[in-house]
Amino acid sequence: MLATVSSATLLGVDGQPVTVEVHVSSGLPGFTVVGLPDAPCRESRDRVRAALLSSGLSWPQKRVTVNLAPSGVRKGGPGLDLPIAIGVLVATEVFPPEWCFGVGFIGELGLDGSIRRVPGIVPMVDAIGEPTVVVPGGCEREATLVGRHEVRGASTVVELLECLRGEAAWPDPAPPAPVPATGVHERLDLCDVRGQAVARLALEVSAAGGHHLLFCGPPGSGKTMLARRLPGLLPKLTGPAALEATRVRSAAGLVLPGDGLVIDPPFRAPHHGASPVSVIGGGSAHMRPGEVSLASGGVLFLDELAEFPNAVLDALRTPIEEGVVRVCRAKGSVAYPARFLLVGATNPCPCGEWPTMACRCSDVARSRYVRKLSGPLIDRFDLRVLVRRPDVSALLTGRPAEPTAAVAARVLTARTRAAERGVMCNAELPADRLDELAPLADDGVHLLEHRLRAGMLSARGLHRVRRVARTLADLADGPDTLGEEHVGLALALRADPAHEEVAA
Amino acid sequence: MSAEALANEAYAVALAELPGMGPARLRAVLDRWPPAEAWSVVWSGRAMAVGAVADACRPDPAALAVTWRTAAGRVDVADVWQRYRDAGVGVAVLGGDGYPDALASDAEAPAVVCWLGDPAVVQGPRVGIVGSRRCTRYGRDIAFELGHDLASAGVRVVSGLALGIDGAAHSGALSAPGGAPPVAVVGSGLDVVYPRRHVDLWRRVADAGVVFSESPMGAAPEGWRFPLRNRLIAALADVLVVVESRHQGGSRHTVDAAIERDRVVLAVPGPVRSPLSTYPNELLHQGVGPARDVVDVLVALGLAGRLPMPAPVDAGEPEHEPEPDVDGPADPVEVAVLDAVGWEPATLDDVAERAGRSLGAVAAALARLEAAGRVAERDGRWERVAGRSGAIRRRTAPA
Ligand SMILES: [Zn+2]
Repeated sequence: MLATVSSATLLGVDGQPVTVEVHVSSGLPGFTVVGLPDAPCRESRDRVRAALLSSGLSWPQKRVTVNLAPSGVRKGGPGLDLPIAIGVLVATEVFPPEWCFGVGFIGELGLDGSIRRVPGIVPMVDAIGEPTVVVPGGCEREATLVGRHEVRGASTVVELLECLRGEAAWPDPAPPAPVPATGVHERLDLCDVRGQAVARLALEVSAAGGHHLLFCGPPGSGKTMLARRLPGLLPKLTGPAALEATRVRSAAGLVLPGDGLVIDPPFRAPHHGASPVSVIGGGSAHMRPGEVSLASGGVLFLDELAEFPNAVLDALRTPIEEGVVRVCRAKGSVAYPARFLLVGATNPCPCGEWPTMACRCSDVARSRYVRKLSGPLIDRFDLRVLVRRPDVSALLTGRPAEPTAAVAARVLTARTRAAERGVMCNAELPADRLDELAPLADDGVHLLEHRLRAGMLSARGLHRVRRVARTLADLADGPDTLGEEHVGLALALRADPAHEEVAA
Repeated sequence: MSAEALANEAYAVALAELPGMGPARLRAVLDRWPPAEAWSVVWSGRAMAVGAVADACRPDPAALAVTWRTAAGRVDVADVWQRYRDAGVGVAVLGGDGYPDALASDAEAPAVVCWLGDPAVVQGPRVGIVGSRRCTRYGRDIAFELGHDLASAGVRVVSGLALGIDGAAHSGALSAPGGAPPVAVVGSGLDVVYPRRHVDLWRRVADAGVVFSESPMGAAPEGWRFPLRNRLIAALADVLVVVESRHQGGSRHTVDAAIERDRVVLAVPGPVRSPLSTYPNELLHQGVGPARDVVDVLVALGLAGRLPMPAPVDAGEPEHEPEPDVDGPADPVEVAVLDAVGWEPATLDDVAERAGRSLGAVAAALARLEAAGRVAERDGRWERVAGRSGAIRRRTAPA
């Protein structure tokens, strides 16, 4: 007999509906899964059989064929265990097909008959068209985020069958995991940063205009401390952005915040020793979004930028330009969202002390280090600022600085102005609309003319300077026309810490 | 062409091009035999019979004799010589015709010297200007100005055509209209331009003056050639000026070689916190005279009478900034900002704090001052441009 059960699989961060067809026929006993299953999915056979036996059910001494439709889509992960098990039970007439009409099933099975959580509950549930979904116990809140389904949770096969038969009530959803409702960066306040006026301004401009930011300074100058305070300046995620961040987190199998939806802009800081796959995404056995996608909607912080392998730095180009990262695999490619604010940090030289007397690097070592930072990579950073170790006097006597909340309010205002121009932030202003949206006053033109004529600014650089100047003016609630203060400051926030050797 | 018709110089460069033949071995060989005879001795593998030659060819003279004999057997001296003539490279053998007097008297004179340009231009007062390849804006400006002012005063600027100070000094010398011809000494062969970035400067120096090398054509810019090159700069310079250099920098070799030759060494004072002024400041501490401007150098040369009338630097030159006017800026913010920048590189934070103005006002003033050529930014730090303060015009040479 043939049974049909609804489920879903994960493709990138999106769910794909899957129909599990189970056919049981007489013949040599066997169990085959067809329809592009990946390795964990093929291993379903063993888990499903063991789980049913552990649950006191019998396994048919017949030929069992499982087809996963549509057949062209590669099915990943162990989340299809549960629908396969249900299909086998229906096909062997252990229970009637009506019980799973209008119900979708997602879950991995343990050998003991338990139903385990799988990554990507949010997008997978979203892909299920049935009015009811059954998910592993503890995943009910995630499943409810989609908002279209009657959500049921079950922790074991035995419990599930009792509820389906109507012998027991569906269990109450598990209480939310004890994760703080607000992200950790809520507690990292800008008021802890004394001095560093330029670096603080750069953070504000970066948050307001979506400009990528590079900090250059010696060890101990607070580059990481500064970067960690950037997510707190960004507006909370809402609507599709929040759902997207939630799907990515869910697809990566990470714990979701208490109320399910990710609303705090994420902060991801992969180490330079991390594998390219973990940063960019992909993987052969197990497709997974990388750090660039987990940072989507928030901040991707690359400390010790020059130490990252070239493969990783090169792979950042597409996400920076297009906001997505494509991971190729045998059959087609998967696109993950990757709309992050890039914050880089680097030492000025291998030892970090250049240009002071304490630097002990040879010219050759320094050149090599600097060369890695030069060129196309550094051009991505609209904002490039030097940070120094703060003066002791500033640490002890400096006035408490402006808190995050005050800065975040200005950022929100500036983002609102950008939205009125039809973009999310000023970094996205199209070059051909700059004359209209970022017009220059005469004194601003004068400053730019000098730089252009001296060959210190390219046409592309000019666009970037105008966008940053636009953000500076928006933050200061300034005029529509950009004057020399905005242009001068935008130029000053573009230091070139990776200056190549001086030609005579 | 018969072997007898070839010039001595042809055999000399053929010897110089043999594998494993450095300046010391070449000198040992040519000290013993005239070039044509030396070639036939080497060609027949008999060179190591002479103790002085074998000594110069340690650790394994016998193996080197075989190498040379094998290599020489494959060389047509006439072909070698034709390459030098095609490239317009001049050659002279120590003791022979055309060898520059300025080098002939040196204890470590090269056995063979090659050149592009006119070697006769070295006659006249000469000042070596040396320093780091990586230099600050300050160092570059000073080197450029010294080069310009010395050339204007008829003094030949001797340098190595390296990046940084070397290049700035020669760019300055070339910018002086009707200035004295520049003199360069390079480490590589004359057909191997190094650094590549200076290909244009290299050609301009050869056109206006002379570029010397003791390396044969085709010689790569190997590290060991540069200390040897530096001794030739010291030998050619009547006065040697160190502009900027780190403690362990290559300028140390040149200074040591200059002191061995009793040349006057001067150092350009720099900020005590600048790593690139460590060596010049240390030299000053050891009693070397300061080179504050061209007057100090001319006095050291004994040419105080040739006081420069520094012509305004040719505005068409890409290598330097427009010369600031002598009057200060009129705008009060610019005055405050210029004051706050000082002569030591300062970040925007520093400048704004010292000037007590907003970041925006300071940034705008800095950009204006930069456009006016009064400050420059490098590595995110601002410095004042070492413009002519008028000191040269006010100072008069001591009697
Ligand atoms: Zn260092």
